[in-house]
Amino acid sequence: MAGLATTFGSGAMTNSIEEISGSEVIFLIGSNTTEAHPQVARRIIKAVDNGATLIVADPRNTVISNFAEVHLKHRPGTDIPLLNAMMMIILEEGLIDDAFIEMRTENFEALRNVLFEQDFDGLVDITGIEPELIKRAARLYASAQKAAICYCLGITQHVCGTANVESIANLAMLTGHVEQDYTGVNPLRGQNNVQGACDMGALPGVFPGYQSVADKSIREKFSRAWKTDLPEEPGLTVMDMTHQGVANNIKAMFIMGENPALSDPDCSAVITNLKQMDFLAVSDIFLTETAELADVVFPAASFAEKSGTVTNSERRVQLMRQAIDPLGECRSDSEIIMAISNSMGYPMDYQDSAEIMEEIALLTPIYGGIYHDRLETTWGLQWPCYDRNHPGTQYLHKYSFARGRGRFVPATHQAPKEQPNDEFPFVLVTGRTYHHYHTGGMTRTSEILLREEREAFLEINPNDIKELNIRDGQMVKLRSRRGEITIQAKATNRVPKGVVYTGFHFPESPINRLTNPARDPVAKCPEYKVCAVSIEP
Amino acid sequence: MNQLIHNQMPNNSDMLCPSEAIIKDIIDENSTIKTFVVELTEPKQAKAFSYMPGQFVMVSVAHQGEAPISISSSPTQSGPFHLSIRKAGRLTSVMHNMAVGDFIGIRGPYGRSFPMKELENRDLLIVAGGIGLAPMRSVINYCVDNSSRYNSLTLLYGSRTPSDIAFKKDLAKWEKHPLVDVRLTVDMAEPGWNGNVGLVTSLLEDVEIDNKTHSALLCGPPIMIDAVSQILQNKGLEPKNIITTLERNMKCGIGLCGHCYMNGVYICKKGPVFTLEQLNQLDKI
Amino acid sequence: MLKKKIIKKDHLKPFLRKLSKDSDLVAPVRNELGDILYQKIYSLDHQDIDLSAQPQESAKSFLFPQSECLYTYSCAKGYKFEPQRDGRPTVLFGLRSCDISAILYMDVVFMRGPRDVHYIRKRDKTIIIGIGCNQPWENCFCNGTKTGPFLEFGFDLQLTDLGDRYFVESGRARGDALLESWPQFFSPVTEEDKRVRYQLVLEARSAFTRQVHVDSAFKRIKQEGVAPSIWEYLAQRCDGCGGCAYICPTCTCFTLFDRAISQDKGERIRTWDSCTHLGFTSMAGGHNPVNPKKDRLKRRFLHKLYYDYLEFKRPSCVGCGRCLGICFGGVDIGLFVEMVCSDHKEFVEKEPANLLAKLLIETGLVDEKAVQQALKEKNDKEMPLGKILLDKGLITQKQLAEILIQQLDNLENSSPKKRS
Repeated sequence: MAGLATTFGSGAMTNSIEEISGSEVIFLIGSNTTEAHPQVARRIIKAVDNGATLIVADPRNTVISNFAEVHLKHRPGTDIPLLNAMMMIILEEGLIDDAFIEMRTENFEALRNVLFEQDFDGLVDITGIEPELIKRAARLYASAQKAAICYCLGITQHVCGTANVESIANLAMLTGHVEQDYTGVNPLRGQNNVQGACDMGALPGVFPGYQSVADKSIREKFSRAWKTDLPEEPGLTVMDMTHQGVANNIKAMFIMGENPALSDPDCSAVITNLKQMDFLAVSDIFLTETAELADVVFPAASFAEKSGTVTNSERRVQLMRQAIDPLGECRSDSEIIMAISNSMGYPMDYQDSAEIMEEIALLTPIYGGIYHDRLETTWGLQWPCYDRNHPGTQYLHKYSFARGRGRFVPATHQAPKEQPNDEFPFVLVTGRTYHHYHTGGMTRTSEILLREEREAFLEINPNDIKELNIRDGQMVKLRSRRGEITIQAKATNRVPKGVVYTGFHFPESPINRLTNPARDPVAKCPEYKVCAVSIEP
Repeated sequence: MNQLIHNQMPNNSDMLCPSEAIIKDIIDENSTIKTFVVELTEPKQAKAFSYMPGQFVMVSVAHQGEAPISISSSPTQSGPFHLSIRKAGRLTSVMHNMAVGDFIGIRGPYGRSFPMKELENRDLLIVAGGIGLAPMRSVINYCVDNSSRYNSLTLLYGSRTPSDIAFKKDLAKWEKHPLVDVRLTVDMAEPGWNGNVGLVTSLLEDVEIDNKTHSALLCGPPIMIDAVSQILQNKGLEPKNIITTLERNMKCGIGLCGHCYMNGVYICKKGPVFTLEQLNQLDKI
Repeated sequence: MLKKKIIKKDHLKPFLRKLSKDSDLVAPVRNELGDILYQKIYSLDHQDIDLSAQPQESAKSFLFPQSECLYTYSCAKGYKFEPQRDGRPTVLFGLRSCDISAILYMDVVFMRGPRDVHYIRKRDKTIIIGIGCNQPWENCFCNGTKTGPFLEFGFDLQLTDLGDRYFVESGRARGDALLESWPQFFSPVTEEDKRVRYQLVLEARSAFTRQVHVDSAFKRIKQEGVAPSIWEYLAQRCDGCGGCAYICPTCTCFTLFDRAISQDKGERIRTWDSCTHLGFTSMAGGHNPVNPKKDRLKRRFLHKLYYDYLEFKRPSCVGCGRCLGICFGGVDIGLFVEMVCSDHKEFVEKEPANLLAKLLIETGLVDEKAVQQALKEKNDKEMPLGKILLDKGLITQKQLAEILIQQLDNLENSSPKKRS
């Protein structure tokens, strides 16, 4: 998000999901699409069936990589060298889009200078890929008419996540593969409403619609509407609160629909921090590990028990309607917030979420024309949608980038914070598996999903299994500088030698005890994808 | 093959509804296997419950669901029947913590039994590994109680260690019976063990096979069954005289849910007892 | 001989209104987003019954619900199971021929051998009023499975749309009873009606755009089996999500589990399950006899197109076409039949492993016998061919990379993979 904001001016998916099936070339990096985004995978497979070329960059042998013409298996954390190497080839072989660079971008010289200084063979060494494959991938992407890039958490969950994204944007602008249909840079968001949460200002430095808190006129607009003073400085980021809350002088916390005691990196630190806090309130649909630490728990309504909108990866705002009455004593999130607010002396009185949407439209330009009645009979509206007559926007940056000209932001390789060494010789990559969702609060209550995947397992390359002298299926001790867990080993060719992989869906094997809380300095996204571990029988 | 198929319990037209049964006794066979002596609580049902060796019941345990368990007693011993259960998953673990007087649910008996009629006047070779002896116990006790109808019975029984040897009381009884020749082996010896050490296949070396008179019954882990049937065929035994019982994840036990469906047949209905000849025909495609 | 009558379209709603007095009425309804789904009718005047297109889901869930509480049990003293009682009779109206055929198949499954009382309780109280399809839709292939567009039996009543009126045929005693209970709605059939219907039936049968040769597939499978490469190709695309089984009108696999309500009480629930799920056959202790994925796909497709054909003389696929378009990887029954019927040598040859093998032999890098041996091992072990050769020391990493590049070059020069 931050990466795209710096380069393009807007942090969301530039094109739409449906367009993926019409691209000629799709470059998929850092995404295990069939397991994490099956609907997107479906369109990618359809495109490949219709003759499109797929390039996949992923250290693992994922299912989607079976469909790829070129599979770049780079070492975890070496995305920038890979992208820079590709861009070097494109520059060298004259495959850049001069016209686009000239008319629509700025700062190209900086990128070109950085690339000229790079040593191609050196970069190739860092990634660990055969140079011919990189060259092929670069040529395929650059010479296509319509090529799209899709990326996911494999790119952003690094200490250089923002720089990774900027490099992707560089690649797209270099070849002119933005601002048209069937192209673009497309981050695949993790939840059906994480885009929506960001849109509504859940980031510490912005109001809804990415309007900055530093801007005086914006602050005054909201101040007037909400009849209260508003802070001038950005607030704390999530990890400042969950890991360092007490040190940052936070006395009380209200956590809604999130389970940091299991899902945050170095989660033992979270548990210690939350236990020390004066007061903790949690609202969630099940009693999660975080909720068990709370002083007060609000039973929240699930998606079927409340009405409201969600905004997905392609900026589409869709209306979700209540299907059943809330069970037991649970209430919708807005009801819970209003109840608390009223008790605290700040009156809030919204009749329903449609009324809340009206206020959003009033104060947020990109949502300016989005009202419930417009969403009721359609498949939703894609922002920016400035007023009632605006039809929504399929792809962004059509005639100019949101910030005017697209800006090249060159980057050089930043090694992951934690490298393997003698004591911790393996690289641990964490991610998701098909059947479970995040900390499993919802999915582990389903009998069949639980049966499909009952417990965590660690993917280990068979050569490593042999060298470690352990059996397939054996419980092993996995240790990092921060903690250790026991987990079942599974021999598979999905991971290369020296790399292990597991999901974070099982509290019995809380993998985030081991992960590294080191973060990207801009986006503050933790480096879930790389840390060093040791394995013992 | 003329196998007996027994119907479900009378007065119970709802085949998915378990009947209440009570645990009358529990016998510790070894550290992981217990034999539960079970009787249906409704007297008419208990009286009408009849089965043949090789059949199984679906056992319900409160809040744990259902699992298929072979009956390990012989129908020649009237009254309550036996379920020998190894602690393997959730349901079996909970059952191992139950006590005499606790209740379980029973549906069945289901499945095709061993062809006890066809096996009359033949020499029987029974090869079992671990918990595989449980359904065979039913066969052996049936033969012992009808010993005039069977020529001979050789039992080859393999366990991991001497402490893992299960059904010690039955083994002692069989060793004393003129019909039965008991040969044991363990994978790993322990101090005090004077018997054979090695996989159960090692016991086969000393066994003479005549296809005209011998039938073999096998039950144990899939690898063991594959290895043993290979050796027996090398010794001249035809697939139609090699009989085994298959284990599958079963949910309904009556050929509806699809879990045990394989190559056009429901294992719970056409099996779980099969001859190797029948199995070979199933694998055609 | 089927009894035949005419009902005017204007009179359909009043007729349904009469029926819905003592029965629940289920019919295809169009919602605001344009989807047509079979739904319970609460208000004939406020819900739009729409017979213009195939409903997106079948009527399976009205006789075999996706999730059903079969029994409540109490384990306080003793252990007793109490079956659930259910409700009113149901009229399933507007069922397509494929969906009716599917119900006939479910009847065999749930009633012929072991009788499932839960299904029977609902089925005995259900009346089926079907409607034939005057034109097939894009994915339909009931002509290939001989389950439509019009049926000869299986329904209580079958309607054919003649424009301003419906041609009504009665298929069973219950259908006759309906016609006799409400004679005011029905008028006799004329020769003109019969002629128009006959014409429509002929046109419908000839209008299929998709040809799925189910019969030929069966013959092929019987004679030659199915090439392993077909299973591997499909397995690569399958996610094991179970969507095909859930949408399929004839998939009836289920699972049972208990859910505790309190310490002393609980429910035994039955839900749909899919044989393509990994855990479908896994046992306590870890053994799973039907793994890897290609074995599961093999079981599913052979069940529908081969074993059921052997047993019932017809496949258990009803040609509704709903699995086409729902699978993420395109692993639907249409693709499978196409692959079996086509000269599947094409799939075998185009397989990356076989292409690689060919190259290795051509360039003389590896001895032919060794390559064949490795190919055999590849099928058993599920490892990439290159890896097997690497492990055996028959080829170096560098040589493998070069050969792979050459293979890509060759691929680029030949035509791209296209699926018709």
